[in-house]
Amino acid sequence: MRRVEKTLGKQVRDSVNVPIMLFTIALLAYGTVMVSSATAGMTGGSGLLKRHVLGVVVGLVPLVVAWAIDYKKLKHWTGPLLTLFAFLLVSPRIPGLGTTAKGATSWLQVFGVRLFQPSEPAKLVFIVIMAALIAEYEGRIDKPRDAVRLLGYLGMAIALILLQPDLGTGLVFVAIAFTMLLVGGMKGRYFAVLGLVAVVGIVGILGIDSTLDRIVGHDVALKDYQKDRLLVFIDPGRDPAGAGYNLAQSKIAIGSGGISGTGLKSGTQSNLHFLPERHTDFIFAVLGEELGFTGALLLLGLYLALLISSLAIAASSRDLYGALIVAGVMGMWLFQILENIGMTVGMMPITGIPLPFMSFGSSSMVTNLGGVGLLLSVWSRRYGT
Amino acid sequence: MTTFQQQLKSRFAALGLIVILVLASLLLRLWSMQVLSGESYAAQAKNNRIREISLDAPRGRILDRNGKELVTNRATLAVSVDPANDDVRKLIIEAQSADKTDDPTRADLERVFGGVAELLGMTPAEVFEKVSDSRVEALRPRVVAIDVPLDVISQLSERQQEFPGVRIDEVAVREYPYGSLGAHVIGYTGEISEKQMAASDPTAGYELGDIVGKAGVESQYENVLQGDKGRRLIEVNASGKPQRIIDEQPAVPGRDIKLTIDIEVQKVAEQALADAIAEAHRQNFRNAEAGAAVVVDVKTGEILAMASAPTYDPATFLGGISQAEWTKLTDKASEYPLNNRAVMAAYPPASTFKAVTGLAGLQSGITYSGKTYSCAGKWVEMGKQWPKWCWNHSGHGTISFDGGIEESCDTVFYEIGYEFYKRKKEELQSFSRTFGLGSDTGVDLPGEVSGRIPDAAWKKAFNENYPEYQTWLPGDTVNMAIGQGDLLVTPLQMATTYAGIANRGVVMTPHVLKDVLGSDGKVARSYEPAILADSGVSAENLAIMRNALVRVTTQGTGAGAFRGFGVTVAGKTGTAQVYGKDDYAWFCAFAPAQSPKYAVAVVVEQGGHGGSVTAPAARNILAKLLGQKITTVHTTDNSR
Repeated sequence: MRRVEKTLGKQVRDSVNVPIMLFTIALLAYGTVMVSSATAGMTGGSGLLKRHVLGVVVGLVPLVVAWAIDYKKLKHWTGPLLTLFAFLLVSPRIPGLGTTAKGATSWLQVFGVRLFQPSEPAKLVFIVIMAALIAEYEGRIDKPRDAVRLLGYLGMAIALILLQPDLGTGLVFVAIAFTMLLVGGMKGRYFAVLGLVAVVGIVGILGIDSTLDRIVGHDVALKDYQKDRLLVFIDPGRDPAGAGYNLAQSKIAIGSGGISGTGLKSGTQSNLHFLPERHTDFIFAVLGEELGFTGALLLLGLYLALLISSLAIAASSRDLYGALIVAGVMGMWLFQILENIGMTVGMMPITGIPLPFMSFGSSSMVTNLGGVGLLLSVWSRRYGT
Repeated sequence: MTTFQQQLKSRFAALGLIVILVLASLLLRLWSMQVLSGESYAAQAKNNRIREISLDAPRGRILDRNGKELVTNRATLAVSVDPANDDVRKLIIEAQSADKTDDPTRADLERVFGGVAELLGMTPAEVFEKVSDSRVEALRPRVVAIDVPLDVISQLSERQQEFPGVRIDEVAVREYPYGSLGAHVIGYTGEISEKQMAASDPTAGYELGDIVGKAGVESQYENVLQGDKGRRLIEVNASGKPQRIIDEQPAVPGRDIKLTIDIEVQKVAEQALADAIAEAHRQNFRNAEAGAAVVVDVKTGEILAMASAPTYDPATFLGGISQAEWTKLTDKASEYPLNNRAVMAAYPPASTFKAVTGLAGLQSGITYSGKTYSCAGKWVEMGKQWPKWCWNHSGHGTISFDGGIEESCDTVFYEIGYEFYKRKKEELQSFSRTFGLGSDTGVDLPGEVSGRIPDAAWKKAFNENYPEYQTWLPGDTVNMAIGQGDLLVTPLQMATTYAGIANRGVVMTPHVLKDVLGSDGKVARSYEPAILADSGVSAENLAIMRNALVRVTTQGTGAGAFRGFGVTVAGKTGTAQVYGKDDYAWFCAFAPAQSPKYAVAVVVEQGGHGGSVTAPAARNILAKLLGQKITTVHTTDNSR
């Protein structure tokens, strides 16, 4: 290596990954256009749009910070990071810090000012921690004890999430862990066990929860609306005016968009309020209605480009640890794309998971841009020792 | 490349594959929804946001011939219950289920409707009866009460959450300034039935729940009165709040119509009919409860008054009639007050028909003015085993044809009838038909029956299953000659027949519509008088009959009723025998006899004798028309 000969200019050029940055910027622009269209007819719509743009700007801070930090150093911070992780997930429950919205205690609030949803940045912390843990096995996880240990960490994380309770975010953690374990070399049969545990777990949780509800006489742990959402997914006609209403309206919006859509700000489903949560969780339904299949194709194309570029970074990583971090970020994005778009078209149960780079919401924006920062950090240090 | 790096590469490939699979499955789903099913979703989106509201057109008014308002509209506050309300819907579903144990309990009804019922002065069960009425479209709010006092309205709207599904709307309802006067001609309105709906012209645009004419003129001229509903397309948001009007087509109000009825004459006719029934009771005909009276203009066929007893109040139907009231109005015990007996009931005309038989005899040469007959009371021309009696069992002795009309001598008409029988040409039947008898008069009122002129062909068909009764016998013609046997006529037919005799033998089509008015209040269209039938009777024979009919009211069976009347009246009494009933009283006339203007027919079921019961009624009706004094006449009559 002729590191000493590297000029500063070359250093900067090396650390820039043009595809990732390009696609990220394209997605942010696309998202801003959609949020602008979705909030156009709302009271205080322009304020929401400003907040969205502000979220993007604020998100540049973690991006730059993560980029600047040598990701390898993070490997040694597992202890403090675990503490941070636990704090982030428990904080909404701490009196004076947490607040409840839509049935979930998932916001951090100081002096009455809602700051962010700690479970969002916790995703990145989880990725960094899990990468360190998995990397220890050097790409071979074939002992049951090792698998159990790693899945144990995942289980703890999910247990903390369900405290809030936030089923969707819990599923994001499972997806992150899945991709990381795949790259980390976990044996196929453990994945089977993981899948089995997940299914038994969900059924078991629903069952235990219902029993608990009956014993206690009111909702404990899982909220009824969460159970409803899962059940409506199985049978959308179950309650068209209640939980199934969102799904039905979302499908009508997307389907009615046809090939070319109704045009920005002209979607009736969106502008006449038939679509719920249209600038946040159901932003894709607005896109589907107003820009049609063409717009959806463009979005999925950008996501594909982003993910394949990420995969290239993973492949370029000089160590397994870096590759694992990239895999974690990819898993986070891919699952959120699948879950968010999937729920708007009735393929997935309805949960409150935002669409990366598109949905209104600073917490997720900051997290996703932080994820980009992690990718760039891995990329810029691909030639290191 | 190390084995580990190769392994890592394959894991990246697997991850890449997962990425592609996930995105491809989303894309496939979007392709199916947006490209393949896009139109169906687009239609759903349109359904979501577009509501069509129909704008009711004000119904046309109904005026009498002098422009007096018989039916008009007024706005009223109506309390309705929306069956889409969860509590209400549950009760309806329970009540409609086959399982009787599911029926809502009194406590259920009290819980849901107790509050509103108490304020409206109804029972919860009565409220529910209106709500669960299956004749109305499932989702349309049901009117429970109209003309609700303002203090009740304000209580209902202030404490709305206590009254599940209750709404308050301003609705237009019919108003009847003259109450029940002319009810049978005017008819009533109500919500369109599914049957009417199915029968209506699809382009008329009726919707379930629409108010339409159900009887009388309201029904007959429904398409004139109804007007064209307007349409408004509005865009609503998710909470159903209207955002903007996309399209609007204003309602076209229904046309006003002017009837030939003179409400003042109608008033007298109804009173005279009621008095006749009371007079029948006084004469010990206790079963008299029903009857009819009709007045037509002999030259035009215009109906100036048409009364039917018993009557009803069309206002009962406003806001939906209750089951109990409906049952009462359609029950046999109440003598079917909804029926307009003037056109819907057919009776044997009895001696009033002798004018027709007489003219037939004159025209065919069987008889002539001054021809003498011998009445012994008992008439055995058809053989001793088939004796017939004159109403006057002691006999009229030697009596002329003209005297036979005057005294209503049956023997004279047995002779004429028997002669017709012997000629075997059914001339009496065909002559009767030249006055329009035996078929619809074509009056512009619904439900008209055609009566019956019996002949050999009819008898054969009628007794299809009784071969021994199929032969036309001498007695059949003889009975018909005195207006009995199988002969049936409506009161309106008798009025038009007498109008025909008065109008040089020409019968005009009777009608109640005079004009249809335009939106400017001026006449847009008028009923053109039309000839229904031309009997072709000679002026000479008509004069003979007119003179004979005048003798009836001056010295014959109708003389008592017309004593002191200032105008000469040509009329005929009748007393019909109906199997198993008391005699039906008839009187038919036209006046003034020399320059006839009006013809009148009055009948009272089981009222006894024409001369003493219905002739006084006809006298008062004619008195009103001809500017004579209306008086109460008590007289006697034993004739038939």
